[in-house]
Amino acid sequence: MLGKDLRVLRRSPLLLGVLVAYPLLVAGLVGLVAGYASAKPRVALVDEDRLPATVAVGGRSFRINDAISEVGKNVHLIRLSPGDAARELRTGRVVATLTIPPGFLGDLRSGLHAPSLIFQTTHGGIAPRVTQQVQALVYGLNRELQSAYVGTDLHYVELILHGGRVSFAGQRYDVLGLDRMNRLLGRLPPSARVARIRDFARIAAIALGQTGNQLASTASPIGLERARESSRSSLLSAQVQAYALGLTITFLALLLAAGALATERDENAIGRLSRGLVSLGELVWAKVALAAVVALALGLAIAVVFGAIVQAGGVVGGEPWSRLPLLALGLLLAGASLGALGSLLGALAREARTASLVAVLVVMPIVFLGLVPREVVPAAGYVSDALPFAHAVRYFSSSLYDASPWATVGRELAWLVGLGAVFGVGARLATRRLLS
Amino acid sequence: MSEAQPFLRARGVARRFGARTALEPTDLDVLGGEALALVGPNGAGKSTLLAILAGALAASAGAVERVDGAHVGWVPQQPAYYDRLSARENLELFARLEGESDPGASAARLLERFDLPRERHPSATLSVGNRQRLNLAVALLGDPRVLLLDEPSAALDPGQRRRLWETVGALRDGGGAVVFATQNLEELERYADRAAVLQRGRLVFAGSVEEYEAVHVEEVFS
Repeated sequence: MLGKDLRVLRRSPLLLGVLVAYPLLVAGLVGLVAGYASAKPRVALVDEDRLPATVAVGGRSFRINDAISEVGKNVHLIRLSPGDAARELRTGRVVATLTIPPGFLGDLRSGLHAPSLIFQTTHGGIAPRVTQQVQALVYGLNRELQSAYVGTDLHYVELILHGGRVSFAGQRYDVLGLDRMNRLLGRLPPSARVARIRDFARIAAIALGQTGNQLASTASPIGLERARESSRSSLLSAQVQAYALGLTITFLALLLAAGALATERDENAIGRLSRGLVSLGELVWAKVALAAVVALALGLAIAVVFGAIVQAGGVVGGEPWSRLPLLALGLLLAGASLGALGSLLGALAREARTASLVAVLVVMPIVFLGLVPREVVPAAGYVSDALPFAHAVRYFSSSLYDASPWATVGRELAWLVGLGAVFGVGARLATRRLLS
Repeated sequence: MSEAQPFLRARGVARRFGARTALEPTDLDVLGGEALALVGPNGAGKSTLLAILAGALAASAGAVERVDGAHVGWVPQQPAYYDRLSARENLELFARLEGESDPGASAARLLERFDLPRERHPSATLSVGNRQRLNLAVALLGDPRVLLLDEPSAALDPGQRRRLWETVGALRDGGGAVVFATQNLEELERYADRAAVLQRGRLVFAGSVEEYEAVHVEEVFS
């Protein structure tokens, strides 16, 4: 029966082409949506303090717009009035508002109070991510200000070290500085007292000379340097490969198994087969095997093509060719598990056209449930656990790219086998419907 | 004839499809060396009874006993094979499933016997007559002792019809059993030894063709 099904499939190259191309197209679209999801969210900036274009803070002037645009790389800041911002937040056109309250700059300049920005966002969805990005924005602003403060402090240290003129509280002062003090002391008659003062000036100069580094490290104990780009692009990432494989074989296996089983009834062959030629269990098993074989062949083909692109592109790390046998095992079992689910759908639908439509309708929710992070919607995670897609994706990703994949691979294999057995038994029971 | 060994023994077989009763509890013996005609108007339950006798449809009640495990060939009204496979591929597939020792040779023999096309075109492209002949050829795989035919001559031209009844006659004459559903009274008179009449799912008569003609021929299709 498996040979017959494969031969029939081979006779339908257009169908096979569509079955392969469609999920790959969907995988690409999902990738685009994922890329869009990681694009900069729109955040309203409400300036109630009417910050000037140039702000003098800590004795140093800097352009606030430049600072915001520099630190706002992760979010798309849009200046709005308070009313507009509130309306846009309600309608969801902006995901958050960031308000500079009245008196913000005054507090900042005085140093008496640490001023606060007011952040408002919606609940759920991408709110946690936006919050993180606004926190990053505030972090960046703080770094800019820290840099300004550190610069000002260092200016005073330079004055103490080398002397010079300085304005403070409206008065101008001529600061002697340790260097000039040392030179003046050198002209005095030597004495123990002078020597002691010169010694203090020398030690103080050395200590103050270290102030710059100390201030910088106090302001930012841990820095973050961005290394040169050398990793995979997001399109070639391990996750995209795992999802592309998962989506393709989910679509193929469900549709093929559902359509192939229902076709046995459409072609009136199941009556002939059920007369002792092929048991209903064997019939379901043949469809499960068909789904598994096709999933294995196409999954490996996709993995090889993906790997060839990675190799040709000279991507760091290359494709883990040695893991293909492990991937093949997962493809086979995921295909079988999905084939069992497809057989169940085919038996329940009874007619090939209905079965194909039901399978197509079922594929998308299964896939999107598997894409929703469990942390965001726990219920989606629980439902997804009862379906093979998410387990297949986790298996593929782990089998290809985890340094120690065995725990994940073993767990997901057990899930796939268990789900396959449950769906297979369900399909066998439901196949009796095809005889009536 | 009545002393012949029954190949199939149906006792109390009935079939319901949801709330609808397609076949009420029915007893029927299919005897070796005879041709039994199932007659009755459309929807009388002939196809249902044949499918149950063939084992292609489970009975809602009752059972069919196959004496000595008699092999049964079944020719349903709608062709039962794979449209995307060629005639040869269908025959080879079902020969393999029937346990034929040389599926290729069996397929070649039946292609020759029923004058079916050897090309690898899908069966879906065959003419209506060729489809029906392929349907019959598949049923003859495994050398059946009982042949169940559901209105087998409906799509055949006169020559093909003659060959069909020659096949049926050869099986019966060789001690096998034939059951065919028909609404063609000429076929009933020429080829049947016994008749069973179904009306609205109920077996209302079972006896010789002569008895049937004397009593029921007018009322069955009225």
